[in-house]
Amino acid sequence: MATGQKYYYDEIVRQLVLFSVFWAVVAMAVGVYISAELIWPTIDFGQPWLSFGRLRPLHTNGIIFGFGVSALMATGFYSVQRTSHVPLFAPRLAWFVCYGWQLLILLGGLSLLAGWTSSKEYAELEWPFDIAIAILWVSFGIVFFGTIATRTIKPIYISNWFYGALIIVIAMLHIVNNLAIPVSLTKSYSIYAGAQDAIVQWWYGHNAVGFLLTGGFLGMMYYFLPKHSGRPIWSYKLSVVAFWAFTYSYIWAGPHHLHYSAIPEWVQSLAVVMSLILLAPSWATMVNGVMTVSGAWQKLKTDPALKFIVLSLAFYGLATFEGPMMSIRAVNVVSHFTDWTIGHVHSGALGWNAMITYGTFYFLMPRLVGAELYSVRLANIHFWLALGGTMLYIISMWAAGVSQGLLWLSVDETGELSYSFSDIMASMAPYYALRLVAGLVFLLGTMLMAYNFYMTVRGRATVKMQPPAVDPVYGMTSEDATVGALRVGTLGAST
Amino acid sequence: MSGMSLHKKLEENAGLLIFGILFVSAIGGLVQVLPAILQDSLNTASANARVYNAVELTGRDIYIREGCSVCHSQQVRPLIAEVERYGPYSQAGEFVYDRPFLWGSKRTGPDLHRIGGKYSDDWHRIHLIDPRSVVPRSIMPGYPWLAERDVKTSDIQAKLRALQLLGHPYEQADIDAAPGQLEGMKEIDALIVYLQMLGSFHAEDSADGHSENQSGAH
Amino acid sequence: MNSSLSSLYLFQSVFNPLNSFTRLAGNTPAPGRVLMRFTLWLLLLPPLFSWIGGYLFGWRLGAAEPLMFPAATLTLISAAYFVILVFGFVTTAIISRWMAATYGASDAAGLHFALIGIVGEPLALASAAHLFPDVFFNVLVMIPAMIWSMYLLYTGIPVVLGIPPERGMLMASALVGWLLVAAVSLLGLTMGLWVAGIGPALAV
Repeated sequence: MATGQKYYYDEIVRQLVLFSVFWAVVAMAVGVYISAELIWPTIDFGQPWLSFGRLRPLHTNGIIFGFGVSALMATGFYSVQRTSHVPLFAPRLAWFVCYGWQLLILLGGLSLLAGWTSSKEYAELEWPFDIAIAILWVSFGIVFFGTIATRTIKPIYISNWFYGALIIVIAMLHIVNNLAIPVSLTKSYSIYAGAQDAIVQWWYGHNAVGFLLTGGFLGMMYYFLPKHSGRPIWSYKLSVVAFWAFTYSYIWAGPHHLHYSAIPEWVQSLAVVMSLILLAPSWATMVNGVMTVSGAWQKLKTDPALKFIVLSLAFYGLATFEGPMMSIRAVNVVSHFTDWTIGHVHSGALGWNAMITYGTFYFLMPRLVGAELYSVRLANIHFWLALGGTMLYIISMWAAGVSQGLLWLSVDETGELSYSFSDIMASMAPYYALRLVAGLVFLLGTMLMAYNFYMTVRGRATVKMQPPAVDPVYGMTSEDATVGALRVGTLGAST
Repeated sequence: MSGMSLHKKLEENAGLLIFGILFVSAIGGLVQVLPAILQDSLNTASANARVYNAVELTGRDIYIREGCSVCHSQQVRPLIAEVERYGPYSQAGEFVYDRPFLWGSKRTGPDLHRIGGKYSDDWHRIHLIDPRSVVPRSIMPGYPWLAERDVKTSDIQAKLRALQLLGHPYEQADIDAAPGQLEGMKEIDALIVYLQMLGSFHAEDSADGHSENQSGAH
Repeated sequence: MNSSLSSLYLFQSVFNPLNSFTRLAGNTPAPGRVLMRFTLWLLLLPPLFSWIGGYLFGWRLGAAEPLMFPAATLTLISAAYFVILVFGFVTTAIISRWMAATYGASDAAGLHFALIGIVGEPLALASAAHLFPDVFFNVLVMIPAMIWSMYLLYTGIPVVLGIPPERGMLMASALVGWLLVAAVSLLGLTMGLWVAGIGPALAV
């Protein structure tokens, strides 16, 4: 491939970033709306498509597949080119993935409003959409791995292992969990039943979190953190061990979503052990990130985005500790089915996923168009809104969840239940009010970012950047490229 | 360090890396998930479990469509307070005909696995249309459209056939009679029929009620 | 390294932080002294207030009747609360000291003990809300206290440990990561204690 005439395909990256931000605003607005419905249930105005039961999967799917996957595709395409020193393999297929995915989210979202749902969490979309996802996902894999296979630099950088694991494992999970017999275009029945279905579903559900929301975004961190902070990853060996331990152990933890349920006890216990073991590779990666950024402190003076990255690592530590902790039976017996689970989800989704994406986008967007960020001040305000919103969300849901769990299990001296379900439910209202405020604050920050990006990219073309010539030291002709190549920051002019 | 030099091979070969990831990530599923889901206790019906008839199935599919399992669980845990509040704890054998499972993951509203027979049909009708008229502080949304919409009869036979394919013991007579059983029904009626049979698959002395697949609180 | 006989300036940090920080950086007290003359008194407040509030009002979680406890149970709960708080304080100070090298900060144990005590003081004082143990009320009171604590952390680290503010920001954020974990561990440990029978009776 003649690198002299080709450019990186960054227009696709730009589109995907903008789509990701769009879905973030839309899906978070839906989230705010449904949290308001939990306080004022009549704001569905008697319309089926505004009903909580139909809007909730719209929120979760919009965030995970709209906001999250678009961000992973954007950053994945950006980073795989630069770590492979070649433009994207099969660029037309990449455009198909970009726009095809957005169409899928849009139509899928509408289908959820219509009530076409399998009810299986994060796999609600019915079988025609499942097939579309599979086609788009395989295409994503072809572009991604094709770029790696045609690279002109010998070693495959670690961020690509994580994005690669994202692609491969999600494909496996998606196909197996969604196997169903169709009845009509809008309805199918799972080939699994009852307890069987529960185990398969949470093998999927937990690992969708593991490989999409955790693994994929770790890929983002491994590429962008060294670039952003101008420092190489702190420990190569740690990243190797942590990656494989992570890929191995995450898979087993699924049944911790099913404690005290009708699945076999050995499955539950195994899940507890593996969930605890999982803490080690999760935190090893966090340590790698924290130590990498610790040397970049001078940049904090001028770079608003680095604050997002730094705090995202703190919340990553929280969420990856809280998960194993909640998988311990003594904790789970109180927390299961309560708002504590929701709090845990959002400490990860807001504190880790959103914040690291925001930090990365603030770094990436100006570079894509070759201009300064429109307003550093707005970015700083956004940071405080994001931090405040996240903390308020977590605190309100911890308080609500622990209260619910305790009250549900309370009995008086005669052994009678102390509280009726509806009494307990009614006492959650103040926490739901706090959570609504938290969501609004977080959404506001996101909208400020959307405006900031709009003003930054408006009227500006994407910068054309060329891959470097084949590097004499680290290129494919080299014998000993491993160690040096991981020092991404030293790879000359290629960004 | 030979581990690192082995890894050097992996990270310079896309094919090896892909295979390595697939292999390592598949282990958990093969060792934990596969044996678990093939276990007899999960696939043996409890003494009282049976397939859903046409009306119940229709009601169940409405439950799914409206996202009821987003707020209501169907999984009574073997905990003292829970059994006291809801009834006997849920056992695997009761769920063998549940496609998909509806155990839920959040209780914004109460667990419904033992709701059958606890409230009258009329109570359910009023509650579904406007929850606050029977439970003033309820935050459940209303479902007035269910009382207006006729049940769909055009796909019930395809549904039963699909389930039959998956091993549900429907007779041809059941399938033939199904559209007729749904004639003139509103969606709310079918849903209430489904709700009223929830919990009826429980069996006191069923073989799968052992501690093997139930856990006490440790 | 002279240890100040008066620890009053440490208590005053809540009102005049910069003064306390500067004086602390200049004094470098011994850790034991910090514990006995400053932190231990702060750590006694939450268990004490929760005992009184629990005895007078019971735990109010909003759902109609409060949960009442016999005095013996309240004593057990408060004792466990105190132990957990001391453990949490000591581990946080030790972890802060362990992190110091990464950020070029002073690793004098007394400084870290005093700094973490100062950071916790707003929360210790706000625990007066435990006198009326309504969960939502306590949440509302703790939020501004926590914001003030975080402010003290981020402004205190650079001054007390002698590093630039940006380095201090990174170190403070790493500590926040630990503090979040500590907070959720407090929740988890509490669940464990309750299930084991120390606390409200859970019919599991």
